[in-house]
Amino acid sequence: MGRRLNLPGTAVFVLGLGLWELLVRTGLLTFRYLPPPSDVAVGLGELLGNGELATALGHTLLAAVTGWALAGLVGVPAGSTLGLVRPVWTYSMASLEALRALPIVAFVPVAVLMFGFSMQTEITVAFYAALWPILLNTAAGMRTEDRLVETGRVLRLSRTAVLWKIRLPAATATIVVGLRLGMSISLVLTLVAEMVGNPAGLGFLLVEKGQALQPGQMFAGVFVIGVTGIALNATVMTLAKLIFRGQLTAAGET
Amino acid sequence: MISCEDLSVTLPGANGPVHILDRVRFSVHRGEFVSVLGVSGAGKTTLLRVLGGLQQASEGRVSCDGAAVSGPPDGVVMVFQDYTHSLLPWRTVRRNVALGVEKLNRSERDSRVDEALAMVGLSDRDGEYPWRLSGGMQQRVQIARALAMRSRVLLMDEPFGALDAMTRASLQDQLLQVRELTGTTIVFVTHDVEEAVYLSDRLVVLRGSPATIGLTLDVPLPRPRDQVTTKERADYLDLRHQVYEALGHKVGDRTHG
Amino acid sequence: MRGTPLRGLLPLVALLLLWQLLGDPASPYFPPPSTWLDGITPLVAAGTLWPAIGDTTMTFLLGLTIATVVGALLGTLVGASRPVDRALSPSLEFLRALPAASLVPVAALVLGYTTQMKLVVVVLPATWPILLTCRTARRSLSPILLDTPRTLGLSTWDRTAKVLTPALLPAVLLGVRVAAPLALIITLLVEIVTRVNGLGAALGTAQANFLSAQVYGLLTIAGLLGYLVNWTVTRAEATVSRRMRGTA
Repeated sequence: MGRRLNLPGTAVFVLGLGLWELLVRTGLLTFRYLPPPSDVAVGLGELLGNGELATALGHTLLAAVTGWALAGLVGVPAGSTLGLVRPVWTYSMASLEALRALPIVAFVPVAVLMFGFSMQTEITVAFYAALWPILLNTAAGMRTEDRLVETGRVLRLSRTAVLWKIRLPAATATIVVGLRLGMSISLVLTLVAEMVGNPAGLGFLLVEKGQALQPGQMFAGVFVIGVTGIALNATVMTLAKLIFRGQLTAAGET
Repeated sequence: MISCEDLSVTLPGANGPVHILDRVRFSVHRGEFVSVLGVSGAGKTTLLRVLGGLQQASEGRVSCDGAAVSGPPDGVVMVFQDYTHSLLPWRTVRRNVALGVEKLNRSERDSRVDEALAMVGLSDRDGEYPWRLSGGMQQRVQIARALAMRSRVLLMDEPFGALDAMTRASLQDQLLQVRELTGTTIVFVTHDVEEAVYLSDRLVVLRGSPATIGLTLDVPLPRPRDQVTTKERADYLDLRHQVYEALGHKVGDRTHG
Repeated sequence: MRGTPLRGLLPLVALLLLWQLLGDPASPYFPPPSTWLDGITPLVAAGTLWPAIGDTTMTFLLGLTIATVVGALLGTLVGASRPVDRALSPSLEFLRALPAASLVPVAALVLGYTTQMKLVVVVLPATWPILLTCRTARRSLSPILLDTPRTLGLSTWDRTAKVLTPALLPAVLLGVRVAAPLALIITLLVEIVTRVNGLGAALGTAQANFLSAQVYGLLTIAGLLGYLVNWTVTRAEATVSRRMRGTA
């Protein structure tokens, strides 16, 4: 990955924005509610100014991160069991795959039915959504590395020692991937829950501004969501690198 | 027929531009079999690609039958060393051979393909997929593909390099037979001295970095040639000696009556 | 996953059975499975269920098709040339970072509550997997494979149709395999949020009317649809891949 500044890439991006601005201002792009980038910037300023953004962002972050953390707390041990204990794998994988085929979005109305318009709905949905990648990745990560396990046996390590010293480190990279995916998915589903269920947070902000016919602020919201997603992903990655540096380096991730 | 003058090729490299060929002057006449000999990385492939219109020259003129070469010229076909990636894995042998002649009408196309397959001895394998064939057979398919097009010139880039010695010998002889039948002009790139002397009418050595023509040698050995008696001839051995010397190998004095 | 043992279905079956046995048909939150079919019947009777499924399927198929074409074209273009890749990548990556969910209200406002709007929302995120696989595949295509049609004197059209396209087909299908479930999810997403039409809209309406048995019934249908899509796409990809690679 070249650390040099990607000049052509940046240029294209800026030109793209410029073109967008031009097309809307000159009336060539005639969507009534498509704002030019300048309006979006203004909208962003407004949202920051009146504190709406901070509140909404805080709400969404709280729900998304909580759901994700819960999914991690449940998913990693459960996934480990799934990956390590063969009978558990054999007697549950097909069920899990069947459940996985159910589009998660479709569960949102179910959650709303049960918990109504509340933060609980959001966290439940986020939890359920993030659980899948975390669970399955952990299971997959724990399942592999027969060669390494054999090494452990050769060195006469106890089963616990094998677990801690060989399996876990080897599985770390895959588990981290699962956690990252889980974070992204958690955010997305939190937003959905906010659009359909709980009238709070960034998701609701988008819907609200849409209905209030405030495209500038709405697009600004989208931009903030995009940045938030990237930031959350990077945070998980950084935390993982800090805590699991050795294992990740060994797995070639750093 | 195909020639280049003052040909220079410079390519961008990891640490700056690399001067591959320097003022190369080279020509092939109709019906000739010319070998281009040199060590790996010497620029033989680059020369061939420029002649074949697959690569642009940085300087100099390349012409085919008098006309300047800008893209792949008509009637000039390249046969690659890497047959695995040149044959289309989703097409049968027959359809691979037909790839260059699909513009023709059905019956003409079929007869050309049959003819080409017969020349390389693969008529009975035409319905199979390339991966089922041995390396030697796959290379024959590639050659058949060029033959079906009735190309006037074959540019062959170390075509037998990836094959074992016995297959190589067999294919060399098949190539000579085919040439007897069709009279095709062949430019043959190789790093194998014996192969070059055995096959060619004329031999050119590419040396140095950037590469230039080091030696040009006529190979007046009588045809038809064969793997045993031709290689026992005094003039064959003499030519071999000259080539090795030209390549920079230390060779002892030749004592031969 | 290949050949997952069928005994693995036991927990799911057991759960459903337990639910059925212990569930209270009058429960507003957890009506047992036997009530689900009854829950859907009113929709069938009113003639709205099949059109809803049809709407969802139509949007899904059309969206996936468009996404495939766009993704393949863009991916091939970007994969063919490093400079183009460098120039377009940052912008494409930025677009990719926007979650599909956030696009829904935007599209609804700008394009209105129409089927076309649904299509746009589905196409955008579904394009990425296909674009990425095609980009990777195009980058790793052997130069010999690309030189061959040139030396054989094939026209540009023939080069593209006879060599490039078949060579990239496995990659396209791999991308479609990832994009298809995604496209279905987003179709349902748009429908649930905007209630334009389709299965998602029905789900949203059922939930708003507290018809929990109907909700679960529709959920099951959505699940079956999802399973069908997964199965079809995986089989298709495997079959064509085998044929293209020449292994059997």
